[in-house]
Amino acid sequence: MRPKPVGATFALQRLLVLLRSNLTAMLLVLPAANYQPSDYLPILIQFGLALAFVAFAMIVSHLVGPKRNSTVKDASFECGIESVGNARTPISVKYFLTAIVFVLFDVEVIFMYPWAVNFRALGNDGFIAMILFMFFLLAGFAYIIKKGILRWNEA
Amino acid sequence: MQETVLPGANAPYSTLLYVLIPLLPFLGFLLNGLLNRKLSGTVAGLIGSATVLGSFLISVMLFLNFEYQYTVQLFDWISVGSLQIPFQYQIDQLSLIMLLLVTGVGFLIHVYSIGYMHHDENVGKFFSFLNLFIFSMLLLVMGANFVILFIGWEGVGLCSYLLIGFWNKNTAYNNAAKKAFIINRIGDLGFLLGIFLIYLTFDSVQYAEVFQKASTMQIGTGVITAITLLLFVGAMGKSAQLPLYTWLPDAMAGPTPVSALIHAATMVTAGIYMVLRANVLFTLAPDTLQVVAIVGAATALFAATIGLAQNDIKKVLAYSTVSQLGYMFLALGVMGYSTSLFHVLTHAFFKALMFLGAGSVIHAMSNEQDLRRMGGLRKALPITFLTFLIGCLAISGIPPFSGFFSKDEILAHAFEHNKVLWAMGLLTAFLTAFYMFRLLFLAFFGEFRGTAEQKHHLHESPASMTFPLIVLAVLAAVGGFMGAPMFTGGHHYLAEYLAPIFTYSQRLLPAAFNAEPDHNTELMLMGLSVAAGLLGIILAYVFYVVRAQRPAEEEAQRSGPESLVYHKYYIDELYNAVFTRPIMALSNGLYKFVENGIINPVVGVFGRAVNGGGTLLRYVQTGAVETYLILMVIGIVLILGLNFGRF
Amino acid sequence: MTSIILLSIFGILNLFMGFMRSNKVLLPGAMLLLLAVFGANLADWNVVHAPYFNNMLVVDNYTVAFTGIVVLTTIVLLPFSRSYVVAGETNLAEYYALLLFSLVGAVMMIGYNHLIMLFVGIEILSISMYVLAGSSKRDSRSNEAALKYFLMGAFATGILLFGIALLYGATGTFVLSDLAGAVAAPENASLQPMLYIGILMMIIGIGFKVSAAPFHFWTPDVYEGTPTFFTAFMSTVVKTAGFAAFLKLLAVALPGAQGFWLPTIQAMCALTLLLGNVGAAVQTSTKRMLAYSSVSHAGYLLIGLVASRGNLTGDAASGIFFYSLAYSIATIAAFGVLKLVADHRQRDDYAALNGLGKTNPLLAFSMTVAMLSLAGIPLTGGFFGKFFLLAAAAGQGYIGLVVFAVIMSMVGLYYYLRPLIAMYLRPAEEGATPVPVDGIQTATLALLALLSIVLGIVPGFLSGIL
Repeated sequence: MRPKPVGATFALQRLLVLLRSNLTAMLLVLPAANYQPSDYLPILIQFGLALAFVAFAMIVSHLVGPKRNSTVKDASFECGIESVGNARTPISVKYFLTAIVFVLFDVEVIFMYPWAVNFRALGNDGFIAMILFMFFLLAGFAYIIKKGILRWNEA
Repeated sequence: MQETVLPGANAPYSTLLYVLIPLLPFLGFLLNGLLNRKLSGTVAGLIGSATVLGSFLISVMLFLNFEYQYTVQLFDWISVGSLQIPFQYQIDQLSLIMLLLVTGVGFLIHVYSIGYMHHDENVGKFFSFLNLFIFSMLLLVMGANFVILFIGWEGVGLCSYLLIGFWNKNTAYNNAAKKAFIINRIGDLGFLLGIFLIYLTFDSVQYAEVFQKASTMQIGTGVITAITLLLFVGAMGKSAQLPLYTWLPDAMAGPTPVSALIHAATMVTAGIYMVLRANVLFTLAPDTLQVVAIVGAATALFAATIGLAQNDIKKVLAYSTVSQLGYMFLALGVMGYSTSLFHVLTHAFFKALMFLGAGSVIHAMSNEQDLRRMGGLRKALPITFLTFLIGCLAISGIPPFSGFFSKDEILAHAFEHNKVLWAMGLLTAFLTAFYMFRLLFLAFFGEFRGTAEQKHHLHESPASMTFPLIVLAVLAAVGGFMGAPMFTGGHHYLAEYLAPIFTYSQRLLPAAFNAEPDHNTELMLMGLSVAAGLLGIILAYVFYVVRAQRPAEEEAQRSGPESLVYHKYYIDELYNAVFTRPIMALSNGLYKFVENGIINPVVGVFGRAVNGGGTLLRYVQTGAVETYLILMVIGIVLILGLNFGRF
Repeated sequence: MTSIILLSIFGILNLFMGFMRSNKVLLPGAMLLLLAVFGANLADWNVVHAPYFNNMLVVDNYTVAFTGIVVLTTIVLLPFSRSYVVAGETNLAEYYALLLFSLVGAVMMIGYNHLIMLFVGIEILSISMYVLAGSSKRDSRSNEAALKYFLMGAFATGILLFGIALLYGATGTFVLSDLAGAVAAPENASLQPMLYIGILMMIIGIGFKVSAAPFHFWTPDVYEGTPTFFTAFMSTVVKTAGFAAFLKLLAVALPGAQGFWLPTIQAMCALTLLLGNVGAAVQTSTKRMLAYSSVSHAGYLLIGLVASRGNLTGDAASGIFFYSLAYSIATIAAFGVLKLVADHRQRDDYAALNGLGKTNPLLAFSMTVAMLSLAGIPLTGGFFGKFFLLAAAAGQGYIGLVVFAVIMSMVGLYYYLRPLIAMYLRPAEEGATPVPVDGIQTATLALLALLSIVLGIVPGFLSGIL
């Protein structure tokens, strides 16, 4: 083990050394290679520009835009209908279920793209794996249908 | 074969066979315990007896086919670091003899109990406890290390407690059970400390390893003396030696078969077994042996004098048991190791016989135990009388009955060693003969002194009770020939058989084993002890048959010494005054000043700290997720921060 | 591997079994399936398997032993779901399926040889548990528990994943044995800060899952709100799998950095012991007491990690195995009895147990054995569990920690005896009726008590198997 740091000065020293030598390596996961710190300069510039643009846009729009307040304009909903009651009313869970089922299948289908691309390379094993995958997916699908999640009319 | 000690030799039979020996009684315990209410008494008794018979048969088979010592490993029991305690059985000459004794006598007493406990409501419970006792006792004698020995030791103590208090509706009986338990605890503490010290000294508790290491030590090493003294304290408790003997007479509160099995034949000899097992250690500690011999001789004489004036048939037998146990320790103390075991065996035969005979008498007398209410029973109970007579002859040391041989051998050893001890032994022999025949004459001769109703009910016991009596009587009569003295042309089978157990001791102190007293001395000693026995019998005959004296009633005036003996030297009262009351006073004082004044506040502070800390925690445990998350983040920051310097 | 496949298939099977009219077949069905898994798992004992899936999963004796514990625990837990069967719970099949799926996660956590496997296993287990924590939909406390568990679990998962990422970044590998090499190799010195932060992050992440202080705050609230049946599962299976994973991580992947992580683990250990035991002492609800007690047991198990010194075999690892088993057995019995009593008497504080010794001797006995085992009284499995762990730690010279643990277990005695006092010394309420217990529950409780005692009398046959 390395010797323990003594006192705050030492800790500060360590921090500085650490920052200098390791910060870049820490933030950007890179294998030790011949990159110089200066190589990251474009990225830093890009980062700074992006930040600057956001700040610029927000400040300028705030300064330039007109400001006319009224009670009507400041009300929560302004679509010609007066806002009544609580916005947090329960919504039928079917919306969520449908959405979740959609996301699920949508995402799982994504797995098929890389598989299709590497179909040849993956060979028989890949084929069997995908069959199994599809089987589980379809088993889930069958379960959902049986559970009646897609039957919209029923209570 | 005599010289081979092969502790690691392979067992010749499958492990299952060895497991079965203790397992069968354990199964009996489970069956009888679980089906307590559903089984009839006879069935419970048959189950109990059959399981013990099974163990006995296996033991006989092992005994007959025994060729060399070995251990049987059942499983790794406790293994932590250097502490290795396997669950092992030790099969050698000593454990085989004890196995035969425990299962054989145990079986007979089980059979006897079928008849004796016939009228009881809880026969199933009784047999389940009895089986559990046999199980524990078998563990005790079969274990290959001190820890298994200790477990069996505690197990038999527990069973003894349960069986003494078997008729638990009687407060006095419960108190007797508690007394037995507590006094045994004192002994157990010593034993346990002894085991710890053994482990510290030898870094093992396995017999083979400990004795092997011990055999290379110097005689008189301090630590060995300490170990053996502690072990002997344990033995004093279990085997009822001065000053820890007082529980045994009270233990007679249990059913008579229990007294016969546990408090005469087997459990109380556990202390002797333990000393025999550790004979190497005792040989190494001559000082301890001296203590053992003195305590043994003193106990023998002391208990015999108390036995003179007891009027309860079982109490007489109980004090006689204490006295005979004293003999056995006397034998151990003078290094008559095999002699001691010899006396264990013969004593088991004749004392079990006499207890069972007493049980038969009590059974016939409708639970009357007072000798003053008996008399003339020999006509009504011929088998009981005859067998009891054999028992009395055996214990009095009349040739050729078994007690003669073993007692004579003990006295011979004592004589070589120390004349005072021998004289005490001889005096005890005289007293023993006197009080045993006093009992016999009072119970079986003269006029019947009980009530008319009891007289009407008098009957010989059923076959299940007389059969064990007859078997034991035969053993008590001829059992001595397994160790007939050499010069009589007999053959000391037992001593020869046991010799390998004492190999290490013999190497350490060859002189003690090779000494052969000259035949004239031996003959003279023999004549003296027989004469002492005969004198006792004759005196008893003169007092109680010819003059037909009757012991005085409870409230009668007694002379000073007579009263002293009658009240058992006021030992119980003495203990009460010297130990119990001061301890009560001390504990009261401690309670008032130390506990209330010191400990409670200290513990209270601790308790309040825990409580206060817990209450503090409750403030933290708000139930709000935000708080928890913040606390977790603080934890993470702390962990990262405190480790920061070490990155 | 067989157990993972079987558990997955059986889980799906269970889902479809739910479409049958009657609930009655579900419970015996699930138990039989699990017994099959248990048998299949044991068949792998002492069988050498090549690592599966490009070194992602290994099945060795370590895996088999801990898988055995979690499967066995689940088998003996199932009978206590009888009340769901009786009440005609419509989602029972889903509950069982989720339990089976979460077992898949547990087995992956035990058998992983690749950090991604560890992560996937933890997630499978955790997500199932989030759902089950909230399974009592009409009970706001159950909802609260699920939400809390989910929010905080997600937080911890993030930390864990961050740790895995940093470890990967520092070493370029996910495989445990390669990690070990990279961690020990001196040429990685320049990457050490990243590596060390990664290690700490992983310790924090897994520490959360096994409720080690200071990441245990969720435990009492979640355990209390979750339906008792699932609390029992959480406090046994999740903890056992978590510690199996923890030990493997420290012993296989990170022995090279032992000097670094040891102080942190020691500090967590002491803090967990303190907070768990002190917290449990002031509770009035039996269930909440058991929750804190599960925190304190995490503390004892952490002693095993301290003493393991980077060994997956030997005294400490065996000690952790034995302790987990004894703890699981006792905990299932305690929660089982508590559930039966609470269902009948509609309360779960200490007073709910009043007079149980009179009305239900078997329940009281079984609870007694469980409490004594948890407290570590001799002749119970818990005693030898503690004994093995403390002996291993003492053998490595951590005397201070051992003394502290012994003091804390004395505090433990105080709260473990309270149920016993309630059961045997306090009278039951007027007109209290015996708690109804059916045959299989009786048999299970008897078996659990027997196992606790057998482990306490002949620990030899299971100690030292690793």
